[in-house]
Amino acid sequence: MATITCEQLTKRYGSVVAVDRLDLTIQHGEFMVLLGPSGCGKTTTLNMIAGLEEISDGTLRFDAKDVTWQPPHQREVAMVFQSYALYPNKSVRENIAFPLALRRTPRAEIARAVQDVAEQLEISHLLDRRPSQLSGGQRQRVALGRAIVRKPSVFLMDEPLSNLDATLRVSMRSLIKHLHHRLRATFVYVTHDQAEAMTLADRIAVMRGGLVQQLDTPEGIYARPANTFVASFLGSPQINLVEGEIAPDGSFVRGALRLRLPEGAAAPGRAVMLGLRPEDVAPPGPGLVTLEARVDLVSPLGSETLLEVIAPGDVPLTLRVPKDWRAREGEVLALGLDPARLHLFDRATESRL
Amino acid sequence: MARAARPVAPRILRALLLTFFSALFVLYVAGPVAWLVSSSLQTEAQITAVPPNWLPPEMNLSNFDAILNAAEREVTYETRRQGDPATGGFLPSGAANLIPSLWNSLTVGLWVAALNLLLSVTAAYAIAVIDFRGRRATLYTVLATRVVPDIALIVPLFLVIRNLGLINTLGALVVTYLAITVPFTIFILISYFEGIPRDLYRAARIDGCGHWGALRHVYLPLSLPALVASLTFAFLTSWNEFVFALVLTQNVAAQTLPIVISGFVMDFTTSFSFVNAAGVIAIIPPVLMAVLFQRYIVSGLTAGAVKG
Repeated sequence: MATITCEQLTKRYGSVVAVDRLDLTIQHGEFMVLLGPSGCGKTTTLNMIAGLEEISDGTLRFDAKDVTWQPPHQREVAMVFQSYALYPNKSVRENIAFPLALRRTPRAEIARAVQDVAEQLEISHLLDRRPSQLSGGQRQRVALGRAIVRKPSVFLMDEPLSNLDATLRVSMRSLIKHLHHRLRATFVYVTHDQAEAMTLADRIAVMRGGLVQQLDTPEGIYARPANTFVASFLGSPQINLVEGEIAPDGSFVRGALRLRLPEGAAAPGRAVMLGLRPEDVAPPGPGLVTLEARVDLVSPLGSETLLEVIAPGDVPLTLRVPKDWRAREGEVLALGLDPARLHLFDRATESRL
Repeated sequence: MARAARPVAPRILRALLLTFFSALFVLYVAGPVAWLVSSSLQTEAQITAVPPNWLPPEMNLSNFDAILNAAEREVTYETRRQGDPATGGFLPSGAANLIPSLWNSLTVGLWVAALNLLLSVTAAYAIAVIDFRGRRATLYTVLATRVVPDIALIVPLFLVIRNLGLINTLGALVVTYLAITVPFTIFILISYFEGIPRDLYRAARIDGCGHWGALRHVYLPLSLPALVASLTFAFLTSWNEFVFALVLTQNVAAQTLPIVISGFVMDFTTSFSFVNAAGVIAIIPPVLMAVLFQRYIVSGLTAGAVKG
């Protein structure tokens, strides 16, 4: 077990700041996901925690111990890489045994540990093969095995599923989640895939440009995105963002589009962005704002249906509705929106109001 | 996907042309070596015969016998007279030094090969893997030393070696040859090391390796072909080197094979048969080495390491 504390952690490459004064505490046994687009500093942060990147400024602690200047092999962290990074000249068995062999663990104990891990990951039949003889999914299992065999207190994962195909990704995702439940170690997981982040994380840190944009539980981030970037990064299809103003009566106005907002949502005259999650629509009803929109495109997904509609004021919206909604292209549909579920952002600062 | 068969005639022509030019190339490369071996088994008269004897008329090892046992023969004015200068029968006076110089060459070659690898591997690892200030500058400095032609270095080098009191020692040769081979080997190994996936290094560091561990467990096993090539390159450079050895060594204590063999060419007469026999002796170790090591020079060692 270990609590990881980043205090003002900074990484500079020449004049480029990759990670900017990051303050982040990752609790014992927590599954923390660093989420963001490429170049946001998430992998750099992970590498600094691993000891693979020198820390330009700030302090890194594991529990109370300052590890800022410790080399990776003294930090007792395990890591899984996007590229798997298996030793090609070693068999699967030797790959998994390697971290233990380096620690001069007795042979019998290594053999037992390797066998145990191989059974957990269902790769016992592959132990004598070389990495080149394995499929991508098998290689990633071996890489996981090499990480868990040491029973470290901190697991670092750098986009471990990005190179796998979609089906395999889902099954490996649940495997990782099970591992976390069983090992109760601290996990730090880097990804740009919001589905991975949402399903795996206890907490998500959404990063952009070396800064944490929001740090919260998956539900919290989804329900109350701190700014338009976070709002658009999570959710598929993306949240609908509509630019407009607050009218003197407190409603949101954009051309012919007028939506009543909860009392005191924003000051009149303010330039805002309105956010509407695609699934936050219902048939018109009491307490809901009614919106009439023309259906432009219907895309059934089987379990649900995606609608592209044009709201008044020529505002295009993407909606996700239950499959039993019978919508036809060209017809006008009456929609009910819950004012409490609308998101308002300041247009200049892009932050939540 | 089925491809339309190409017409037959161009294919045959292509095969013929390929065979012809390959044969020409082999002849160009191997011809002199073949003639060296063939003539080493012939007497002077047979070598100089017109038309030439491409193959020895009979297996005649007397040339080898003469030069290898030269030390036991007394070379006097009379014995030398017995040979006929016209047919090059003179046994070169330096022939007695042949065996000692063979050992000198081997000793220097092995030291150079070993030390070259030791120095280059550590230097290349540092430059290729560790991110330190001035690492590019280090590499360029090392490479810059190879820009100066060797011949320009001879006199200063001679003075340095003389002032160190190392003239006519094997150590002088080892140091000098390392100065030639190390920069080049570092350069080769750096590009090889940089081709090894960086994630393997990271994985090794995480798994518990320090720099020595990463070198031993990742870089060395995966760069075996480059290491063997470097070993061979260093040994051959040392084995074949002439000019520095000529300047820095003076007698049998440190003279290497090329120097002694060149001594076979004398002022008044040159015995082709003896020179060629000595030449054959000189190419045996490199050939053995090439045969032994060629199977390690394979590619694809990193297959399966990372997602390709």
